[in-house]
Amino acid sequence: MTGRARARGRPPRQGSALPAVGDAPLQHPQQLQQLQHPQQLQQLHVPPAQSEDPGGHGRLRGFESVLQERRPEGLQVSSGLQDLSLRDRGGRRRDFHDLGVNTRQAMVHVQESKTGFSGRMVKLTTNHFRLTSRPQWALYQYHVGYSPEMEARRLRSALLFQHEEHIGKTHAFDGSILFLPKKLENKVTELFSRTRNGEDVKITVTLTNELPPTSPTCLQFYNIIFRRLLKMLNLQQIGRNYYNPSDPVSIPNHRLMVWLGFTSSILQYEENIMLCADVSHKVLRGETVLDTMHSLHSQVGEERFRDTCAKELIGLIVLTRYNNRTYRIDDIDWDNNPKGTFRKSDGSEMSFVEYYKKQYNIEISDWMQPVLISQMKRKRGNIQGSVALIPELCSLTGLTDKMRNDFGMMKDLAIHTRLPPEQRQREIGRLLNYIQKDDNVQKELRNWGLSFDYKSVSFTGRVVQGEKIFQSGNMFDYNPQFADWTKETRGVPLIRAVPVDSWLLIYTRRNYDVANTLLQSLFKVTPSMGIRMNKPNMIEVDDRTEAYLRVLQQRVTPDTNIVFCILSSSRKDKYDAIKKYLCTDCPIPSQCVLARTLSKPQTIMTVATKIALQMNCKMGGELWSVEIPLKQVMIVGIDCYHDTVSGKQSIAGFVASLNQSVTRWFSRCVVQSRGQELVDGIKACLQTALRNWSKWNKCLPSRIFVYRDGVGDGQLNTLVNYEVPQFLDCLKSIGTDYSPRLTVIVVKKRVGARFFAEIGGGLKNPPPGTVVDTVVTRPEWYDFFIVSQTVKNGCVAPTHYNVIYDTSQLKPDHVQRLTYKLCHMYYNWSGIIRVPAPCQYAHKLAFLVGQSIHREPNLMLSDRLYYL
Amino acid sequence: MDKNLQEEFTQITKFKPPLYKQRYQFVKDLVEKYKPKKVADLGCADCSLLRMLKFCSCIEVLAGLDICANVMKEKMYTLSPLPVDYLQPSERSLTITLHHGSVAHKDPCMLGFDLVTCIELIEHLEEPELKKFPEVVFGFMAPSIVVISTPNSEFNPLLPGVMLYRHPDHKFEWNQAQFQSWALETARCYDYSVEFTGVGHPPTGMEKAGFCTQIGVFIRKYPQTGESLQSEKPTEAVYKTVFKAVYPSLKDEKYLQNAVISEVIFTAQIIKHRLMSKHKEYGNDPERKPKFQPSMDSFSDCLGKLVVEKNMEPFVSGNEVYIPLATIFSFPKVNRLCGTFEKLCKLIAGKVTLSSDGSAVLFNIEHED
Repeated sequence: MTGRARARGRPPRQGSALPAVGDAPLQHPQQLQQLQHPQQLQQLHVPPAQSEDPGGHGRLRGFESVLQERRPEGLQVSSGLQDLSLRDRGGRRRDFHDLGVNTRQAMVHVQESKTGFSGRMVKLTTNHFRLTSRPQWALYQYHVGYSPEMEARRLRSALLFQHEEHIGKTHAFDGSILFLPKKLENKVTELFSRTRNGEDVKITVTLTNELPPTSPTCLQFYNIIFRRLLKMLNLQQIGRNYYNPSDPVSIPNHRLMVWLGFTSSILQYEENIMLCADVSHKVLRGETVLDTMHSLHSQVGEERFRDTCAKELIGLIVLTRYNNRTYRIDDIDWDNNPKGTFRKSDGSEMSFVEYYKKQYNIEISDWMQPVLISQMKRKRGNIQGSVALIPELCSLTGLTDKMRNDFGMMKDLAIHTRLPPEQRQREIGRLLNYIQKDDNVQKELRNWGLSFDYKSVSFTGRVVQGEKIFQSGNMFDYNPQFADWTKETRGVPLIRAVPVDSWLLIYTRRNYDVANTLLQSLFKVTPSMGIRMNKPNMIEVDDRTEAYLRVLQQRVTPDTNIVFCILSSSRKDKYDAIKKYLCTDCPIPSQCVLARTLSKPQTIMTVATKIALQMNCKMGGELWSVEIPLKQVMIVGIDCYHDTVSGKQSIAGFVASLNQSVTRWFSRCVVQSRGQELVDGIKACLQTALRNWSKWNKCLPSRIFVYRDGVGDGQLNTLVNYEVPQFLDCLKSIGTDYSPRLTVIVVKKRVGARFFAEIGGGLKNPPPGTVVDTVVTRPEWYDFFIVSQTVKNGCVAPTHYNVIYDTSQLKPDHVQRLTYKLCHMYYNWSGIIRVPAPCQYAHKLAFLVGQSIHREPNLMLSDRLYYL
Repeated sequence: MDKNLQEEFTQITKFKPPLYKQRYQFVKDLVEKYKPKKVADLGCADCSLLRMLKFCSCIEVLAGLDICANVMKEKMYTLSPLPVDYLQPSERSLTITLHHGSVAHKDPCMLGFDLVTCIELIEHLEEPELKKFPEVVFGFMAPSIVVISTPNSEFNPLLPGVMLYRHPDHKFEWNQAQFQSWALETARCYDYSVEFTGVGHPPTGMEKAGFCTQIGVFIRKYPQTGESLQSEKPTEAVYKTVFKAVYPSLKDEKYLQNAVISEVIFTAQIIKHRLMSKHKEYGNDPERKPKFQPSMDSFSDCLGKLVVEKNMEPFVSGNEVYIPLATIFSFPKVNRLCGTFEKLCKLIAGKVTLSSDGSAVLFNIEHED
């Protein structure tokens, strides 16, 4: 479920699917004629030809990069230079690695050391490789000026490169900045070239910077060079990563193909600049969008066809037949077809059929298919419109929600994508081997004076002590290998069991038996937990959304503790309607379960146990706890959900602990439309959370820990500069004499780093509780990794924690321990999870609201875990 | 080197579409007309003509040659196959190669081409190179067709800002008479016929100036040279290969097999799906004519016709669904891919679960809902 939420929860079109700024479309504002649909006034463009206009490319781009350059900006490498990585499509110029955000310098207590000490040592290997350069290595940055001024970048390059005997064969030039691996003889070099017009041009090459290997510009430069190498190895770029097309894994049962590829980034780590390389799998589909439409049609029939298409296809990324770009499907224009026309840049009108025939010699066979619309979201440039795509010419990538829910398919996929540690490390080794073996690549590296350690970095980490689980006066240890205490705590009274005196059990006629089986099982499992459960109000309904709603309106009373619905299908609309009604209009906790889940006799007791626990939490119960040594502490969790499909809304889930044992949670959420900042809403959330905390504890917390999840790559700066000050502002507004200690920790699940424990001569997943705070952390941050969960197959992914603000005065060891403790506190899973419980709660809340409710739930529910 | 760009500045206002595009279109039209299989572009520069030609479905071998490796390297990766080329391999095979070398040198890799294009090339050649050029292209390579384009100096007065030549790297620019006499002499010498044309019409009243770009299309008069002649030619390779891309093609057994397996399983699954839904809702669904989906219609028609023949009928037995290979083979897409039934059986052997006698695709439906 988390995976699914993740996939959808990714911020819309984060770079990966964006064509690079300054790319061809700027040159082709081909506007679609809107004769048939005057109501739609958006601009439509056909996808830019990869090479349609080779001569014309330079001008705008060159101009842009010149503009960019004149800004006194030391950090960013200009678009022109990005372009040097052989038409790289990394998206907007964005600081994906949050370079240059130095948060550690403001925290005095971790200046000397940010490492913890507790736990036993464990020998670890990672997927990091040292980048080595020759001694006294530097990158020389030159400014190149032209007199008279030359506009076109290609012309500028051509004129400069006439002088390769002076500047050397190894260079990177974006039209204005020139990078060289060696220093020119003079600080200022003047060169003379002649244009075709016989015009003499003076080129002035001026040394502006001698960049040390660790400078941010240099780091970006390494990454560009490295991507150049991957391309030299004939890997294919899809999105941000590179894949090997020559050896795909085909899964014909599902018409899937998996390409093995690599993610890579080069960064300054604690002591070294290192390459972090990981295996990445790209799922591609051997069918076109039109094929998919056909099979959908045969599955659902005419009536639900368009809706189903929209649901299945919108949001997916497609590759086109004719250029190496990816597009996101944002809409389907059913009133258009390939015979439809658009206006080209020269004003002439052309049909899609004609265009593709003329441009690419492609015959579109089905002239009745609709047209896909992809929004072009770019900040600059003179077009803000959409691209029209022909389904027949688009191939799908990635998985749909439906596929993710297909257990069989995911199992077949996992065989290929879930690589155990040894195998994963072997595959990464293979990439390094390619690099080592390829002469051209080696030559390029040599020319720049760079090389890699081909053996990955090893070091020691720590495995912190396992936590004790407390439940109503009992104390349990769990087997650290499994990180799970389901068995240990079975049949033990809960910390707080909420009696179920009055409740509704709603089912359809078909599920009458299922409902009774469930009831009997619940009555069997609840007494030992200490839950008192009365007979429910059993209500049979028709299997229609309105029928469910009518029953809820008529039968829910103020005394109702919880509503239980047995649903016969996973049709989302019914679920959404029930949740929406019971979360907003009529705030009562609810439990929806699929009949299928309850239909297997061999698992019904386990299922009933889990359901009973979940119901208890939803009504405000508490299950277990771990020891929290800090007093008067409030823990906050924040996560975001971005609705990419329908509403274009973003939702921030906010939860805050209410009691000393952090077993009760207050929650709110912020619903904001596109483009709005989340910050203001979060401020209000924090205020109410503090009010509630003081209501429960008769005082204000003296310490506040904020675990902030849902921070995208490159957003750290915003967080440090806007969100944290808002938190502080909010605390100040509570009272002049109130100054609690605040700690803000950014939680990141999607990281490239992988750790492997060297156990018994082989590589294994590191045990839960493994903490890494040296070697592969960043010197400018107060950060650490924790491996808290276990996985059955594949490689465990460590979670990255970055303490961006901290006045707690706590030792790093204590912050690490607290974080790990909180990973034990998620009540929907009697085991350790990947992130601190507040983050997972915030995620669940945001997901529920984003998927089903679409507005802030009733605050009456805010002290219960109704969103589980 | 940068000829396209340089000209564009002065001519983009004059010619529409820009002249370089008109030149490329001219080549493309020629390809459409003669359907050559092997095409070489001499002086391919940044490969933009090759990039355009790779979409011409008749071409199976594309080669580029340039004296400057850097300019080729700058954009050569755009000639690589796209992800989609791997996902849906095409019927034709295509190999694109880039060579670094001079048109004044002979290299056996340039033998056997059907069409050789020299677009805005000869005016960049120094005297000695230009001297050797006809022998290399017409004598050695000896393709069926050669296209040569070059600036027409008579047009220069009509171009704003052109002092001597249109590009500083031009060693000469010929008028119509100069070009034609050189071309006629060359054609005569190597037994080709030549026709003159051009792109970039002169403005009205100035027709005498001729086309802005003059073009000669040379056609070899004698038939394909025999093996005996070829063997006399020097075989020493002097060009350096800087890039080579082999496009995935169904001619390659590996890709064909993948394509067939996936098509067979997909087809079988559709038949199974229809069979199962028929089982479930017997006659429940009145035939409705869907608006969308012509291909599925033909699909069901196809199925309907086939079922008439008894031995081809798919059937359910216990937990197993049998879909005869003969039925699957009769679907146009599978049929087209394999050609013969034997080939189908050979390609899917061991890769698809079949019934014990190997005549049907087998599905187990035990674990399905």
